[in-house]
Amino acid sequence: MSERQAAEAFVELADTLIDDFDVVDFLHQVTVRCADVLGVAAAGVLLTDQRGALRVMAASNEESRLLELLQLQTDEGPCPECFRTGRAVVVPDLSAVVQRWPRFVAAAVGTGYASVHALPMRLRSEVIGALNLFDRRTGDLDEETARLGQALADVATIGLLQERAIRRRETLAEQLQTALNSRIVIEQAKGVIAERRRLDMDRSFALLRSSARAGDRRLSDLAEAVINGTAEV
Amino acid sequence: MHGGQAGRIWVRIGLRSVDGPVTVAHACAAAVADLGTDGAGVSVMVSPTARETMHATDRIAGELEDHQLTFGQGPCVDAFAAGGPVLVGDLDLPPYFDRWPVFTPAARASGARALFALPLQVGAIRLGVFDLYRITPGPLDRDQLADALAYAEAVATLLLDAAEGSAAQDAEQTSRRADPTANRAEVHHATGMVLAQLDVGADEAFLRLRAYAYANDRRLIDVARDVVQRRLRFEPDPPVEDGGG
Repeated sequence: MSERQAAEAFVELADTLIDDFDVVDFLHQVTVRCADVLGVAAAGVLLTDQRGALRVMAASNEESRLLELLQLQTDEGPCPECFRTGRAVVVPDLSAVVQRWPRFVAAAVGTGYASVHALPMRLRSEVIGALNLFDRRTGDLDEETARLGQALADVATIGLLQERAIRRRETLAEQLQTALNSRIVIEQAKGVIAERRRLDMDRSFALLRSSARAGDRRLSDLAEAVINGTAEV
Repeated sequence: MHGGQAGRIWVRIGLRSVDGPVTVAHACAAAVADLGTDGAGVSVMVSPTARETMHATDRIAGELEDHQLTFGQGPCVDAFAAGGPVLVGDLDLPPYFDRWPVFTPAARASGARALFALPLQVGAIRLGVFDLYRITPGPLDRDQLADALAYAEAVATLLLDAAEGSAAQDAEQTSRRADPTANRAEVHHATGMVLAQLDVGADEAFLRLRAYAYANDRRLIDVARDVVQRRLRFEPDPPVEDGGG
């Protein structure tokens, strides 16, 4: 591929990536691959909507989608509990929890599942949903699989940030660049002060900071002024 | 379809992030393995000179980022300027020596043979560049390019998420937090010192440092360290080593 062709392909692909980011499609792919790599029969995702209510977003197969819906309708089962507590819920044997979640267990066992687990989807301190894993065998979620499953739930959560409004993403990008710029300017100003005052970098920084406080100026503003020669420290 | 592609790629990233919260490093590791490449680097850039390497998977990737800062040329510099990818399947082909006469031999000496620089575009903002390299020649095919772009998108998302996560923290704290780019602070310190030594602007001071490194066949970071340690001073005339060192 020539560079010109590549550039055209890039524009086309980059546009579709942004325009066509389909959350349901994204989560469907995540559930299918989770079931696959974790070696379970099925996986499903519940997410909160803007009003804080849980909704079924995706499932690797139809049976598990119906079980997700049932959990929402009855408000019983590992997924709602995981969402409420923010902790993983591990059910190695569904027959042991018949009394706790009678309707859910009946339906799950009826479709051939024997164990189920739910992992929280957390964005920093907030729980935004849960990833459900269904299996036809009884058994605990071993530690390695649990860690892998949680890692997948975590990346799915972050991947969802891709669908954020572009304006929000632009604002964050600008903040990141501004932060980088401020940091560079502050480090350069430390160098200027170190040279002029024959100080080491820590002392230069202390002097810059105390001058900023004394003058009630932002550190990065004063640093900028030091570099432009419009302020002395 | 593209949401599905993103899902596939995020799962691959997730498979590598079992050791802790997912970061740009995990995305780079997944991309390197997935795209048949040997290493990757991520730089956030405000301008070709105001840039910071956020991650490099290995020595070669780190050197490629450094070369582009030191020499001010290379695929990443061009990708950032143009806003499109710069894909070099074989650095040994003649046009690339002409295009980047200083960078190309340095990149070859570091061990890279093919280079792919993809801009990190966030709406109207160009945030930086995602660089991949191979030690053997060979282009990215169309599917690999599509995946590479999806990885670039994931990298940008992780950078933005990290920025949001640290936004609440004090800027001072953030700048003091241990990070792989911390040693680059010496380049900025040295720029400030040279600025004061020569009584010039920051851009000019940086260019003088860069020219000195190039003329003496030294790494920018080593020259910067000498300035910070006061083993090297710049005078309005050509720079001289301090005696007795």
